[in-house]
Amino acid sequence: MPNLISRAIRRRYGKPALLITFALASAICVSAPNEPVNDRYCKTCHGSDGRGNEAIQAPILAGMEEWYLIRQLKNYRGKVRGFHPSDERGIAMQAMANSLSDESIRDIVGWIKTWEYTPPDATVDGDKAEGKKLYASCAACHREDASGNEAIGAPPLAYQNDWYLVKQLENFTNGYRGTHENDIFGQQMVTMVKQLKDDTGIRNVVSYITSLRSD
Amino acid sequence: MNVRVKRREFLNLLAAFGGTGAALNAGAALNLLPAASHAQTLDLRSPDPSKKQVVILGGGLSGLTVAYELTKRGYDCTVLEASHRCGGRVLTVRHGDLIDEIGNPQYCSFDDEPHMYFNAGAARIPSSHKNILGYCKELGVDLEVFINENKSAYVQDDKMLSGNRIRNIEFTTNMRGFMAELMAKALTHEELNQPFSDAEAEALLSSIRAFGDLKENDLYEGSFRAGYKSGGFLKHGVQKDMIAFRDLLKSRLGRQLLSANEGDTGPILMQPVGGMDKIISGFLNHVGERVKYRAIVNSVEVLDSGVKIVYDHDGARQSFDADYCFNCIPTHLMVGITNNFPDDYKKAMKYVRRGDAYKAAFQAKSRFWEDQEIYGGISWSNSPSRQIWYPSHGIHKSKGIVLAAYDYGGGIYHTQMSQSDRIEAHLSDAEKIHPDFRDNVEKPITVAWHRMNHMLGCSARWQRSFSTGWTHDEEKLYETLRAPVNNRHFFIGDQISMHSAWQESAVMSAQWSLTKLDAYVRQDLA
Repeated sequence: MPNLISRAIRRRYGKPALLITFALASAICVSAPNEPVNDRYCKTCHGSDGRGNEAIQAPILAGMEEWYLIRQLKNYRGKVRGFHPSDERGIAMQAMANSLSDESIRDIVGWIKTWEYTPPDATVDGDKAEGKKLYASCAACHREDASGNEAIGAPPLAYQNDWYLVKQLENFTNGYRGTHENDIFGQQMVTMVKQLKDDTGIRNVVSYITSLRSD
Repeated sequence: MNVRVKRREFLNLLAAFGGTGAALNAGAALNLLPAASHAQTLDLRSPDPSKKQVVILGGGLSGLTVAYELTKRGYDCTVLEASHRCGGRVLTVRHGDLIDEIGNPQYCSFDDEPHMYFNAGAARIPSSHKNILGYCKELGVDLEVFINENKSAYVQDDKMLSGNRIRNIEFTTNMRGFMAELMAKALTHEELNQPFSDAEAEALLSSIRAFGDLKENDLYEGSFRAGYKSGGFLKHGVQKDMIAFRDLLKSRLGRQLLSANEGDTGPILMQPVGGMDKIISGFLNHVGERVKYRAIVNSVEVLDSGVKIVYDHDGARQSFDADYCFNCIPTHLMVGITNNFPDDYKKAMKYVRRGDAYKAAFQAKSRFWEDQEIYGGISWSNSPSRQIWYPSHGIHKSKGIVLAAYDYGGGIYHTQMSQSDRIEAHLSDAEKIHPDFRDNVEKPITVAWHRMNHMLGCSARWQRSFSTGWTHDEEKLYETLRAPVNNRHFFIGDQISMHSAWQESAVMSAQWSLTKLDAYVRQDLA
């Protein structure tokens, strides 16, 4: 049976050029044979120009640093991220990234770079003053203004969807992320999130982080 | 049954066991189920020539219904469809088709013959769904009977009879027999005669006896209805052994088996000859040139004078100004598309959950099920793959497409597997029903609606709890979302109905919105 799958995959990379003509020529056929596909799926989940979609729990991609996007796509591809049975969204992303080639990753990241960043709506309500105190230990890596630090692998945070930051902090807390032996940076986060103590701490620190935006 | 059954207990028993039909009647009286009605006749007026530009977002069934009706009236319609095909969840899979699952694209390599297909989404049309049937008639879509319940198909449950399969008719005949025996015993208690006159009690008792094929002593001792062990034509038939009630009760499948013929899935069901998407082709025969494929909507802006759509097409960003917009993009995707909808709209869009139904099918090298007296219908299992559907079409041809999994409630289980794990899971589940299944099939296709590109979900789920029904808040959110925005933007589709997952709901939602548009246009022209 696996042979059938690889055959299907081979077909995928067959010679679609001729068949595109079919697709354009026929208005009445519901579907043309052997429709070509590529890996540029991002907007279906991540929304208009990658501005994020809360209903799908897919975060903002527009404006994200190239180095961070590449690292995460590779983490997903290698099942360093999106492996835990309770991480439903991560599993969906892992399935998407699973078969990406390095070339495809470069293409996707280059595509994302062309999208305009639009600040997301605030959805998380927390105590910013309390959040500021908690953020003190985060600032060492992510910087005071949460703009991130590539040199030590810490991504910018301020411009991300607040609900996504909450979800990821929960994932680190619950061991859904950052527990893979090859997730060096994630492992640091697993240690750091312990200082946030509970859901309230998470909400407080996230509401402070997104208040640092200079939209 | 030495313990006396009290009247209340008996009535509860009736409700629990024999009450399916009764509950349906009562439900219809309370408007809980869609009542039978006539197909909608749309009396739409022609537009003001200066206000006839209509943009339709999504070439699903509701979108095409709008395009078809408005084009007939002289509107200038444009359908922006994100994918390479129209139809949305009206998806018929056949030779050469792309299954555009994100991260797991598949091409179908079934034999290229008219009967070698399966309907991966909508698959059944009830006779009470008059509006979709009306379009089938109007568009010249030929229909044939769809076989849903098949008494010769199998029932298999690991917890029942050591996991051995039995025929549906063995399960249901024996189950009914025991249930009837219980009811008859309860009814013959003197105190239970009270609610009924003698004539009523006799009528009820004779129905119960017939329902369960009871012997004269009101005992169930097996029935020829379950099929013959041997003989029956040229020699006397030998009755099959009775299956013990206790054994049947080890399976929870009775719930589904006894209701498979009720409600929306009650006979007669139909399907278009050649695949469900013949309905889509029927619409496209009229409005096909109005569709722009691979047109991905980037923003929807409702203005006083119309609706502005920005979309990506052919590698370029384009914009379209329409007088009116009909939108069947799934609400969970619309949340991620830039828009200026009112806040209560946005809240309602975020409330709706996306369904995760899942189907998988194989090409069968021979129609082996027909050698086992199975022609169409469904075998039921307690395995995660749940159901095997045998095609109602192509009977006695050499091959067919057999559906090996349909998880209508919790498809995430298979969705999260790799393609090869999904296939292996279905093969091993199906082997419990057909031991030689693996050797008889090839060319698998899986359709995980939760991951299908440009859809990311099966039918919309409005209710957080199915047991308690719609809450008042949910009804309010629903009314919010189906109300037009500024008389310019109309959300449509089965998602904007109280009975999602049916084509009838998609069509009726479109028609309802068209009457709203028409009321506004008439008012505007007056």
